[in-house]
Amino acid sequence: MPADNAISELIQAGRAEAAFEQLVPAFRRRVFGLAYSLLRDRGAAEDVAQEVFVKLWQALPRYNGRAQLSTWIYAITRNTAISAMRRRRRSVSMSDPAVFEEVESRGAASEAGLDDAALWRNVGALPDKQRQAVILYYQEDRPVEEVAAMMGLPVNTVKTHLHRARASLAAALAGAGEEVA
Amino acid sequence: MSAEDTGRRNLEARLRGLLGGMDASAGFEARVMQRVSMLAVAPREDLRVQFERRRELRRRRLRREVWMNGMTTLGLGACAAALLWRFAPEIQRLAANSASLIDPGLLAVGTLAALGAGVWLLISRARG
Repeated sequence: MPADNAISELIQAGRAEAAFEQLVPAFRRRVFGLAYSLLRDRGAAEDVAQEVFVKLWQALPRYNGRAQLSTWIYAITRNTAISAMRRRRRSVSMSDPAVFEEVESRGAASEAGLDDAALWRNVGALPDKQRQAVILYYQEDRPVEEVAAMMGLPVNTVKTHLHRARASLAAALAGAGEEVA
Repeated sequence: MSAEDTGRRNLEARLRGLLGGMDASAGFEARVMQRVSMLAVAPREDLRVQFERRRELRRRRLRREVWMNGMTTLGLGACAAALLWRFAPEIQRLAANSASLIDPGLLAVGTLAALGAGVWLLISRARG
């Protein structure tokens, strides 16, 4: 991404504050999305995202420009989110109350709202990597390459996860009597 | 368009609708900036020091590379000179034989081409 390069150049030039001011809005959704895809809890994901940006601020002097800026940030996010998961010491469930309420209230008991809730439950029931790929891919219509970089996986593996996830979701919704086709 | 395609598009549209708006809550950036401003100013200083250190390291690496390149060229030149000196009679005989076998014009072109390639290599290395 061109913005990432500009930020990287600012860091290399020793202009930490200017770099950081651009870095936070440029990476906010990506960092939050990645944290959320791992933690499945909006509050926890936001805490992790905050922690990531503070870590980034402190680690900026150590960024040498050898790795891509985004790759470096994704690695920090993944590690921070995994540490947070370990700290919580419980297996997280997809029934994030905040999101679930939001999804249900969106439809205000309408049929569409219930459909979304069912879809949300099915996304939550997907295996970890498939769920992560779906959340990151559809959060911002990202290219698969970007999702792969965020997850730290090869592009083809992510494509497979997405394909399987879509097939599972379609089957689950069809099984629940929803019209998918 | 097949029913499968329609189904897939429908599912994708719903996933986009469901996940597309996902973002941190309002005021997230302000909270980050507040947390960062509460930290010591050390990282800014640290960043400047690190930047200077990296620049110095780069400068030293370049100097080392220039020295190494110079020594390599000198070494190769010395080896070539030693070989020429050691095998001077054989080279002279070979050159005399070659001159009688090869067209002098072709030999001149070949020699110029080899010299040109050598000079080009030296220039491109010096630029790189």
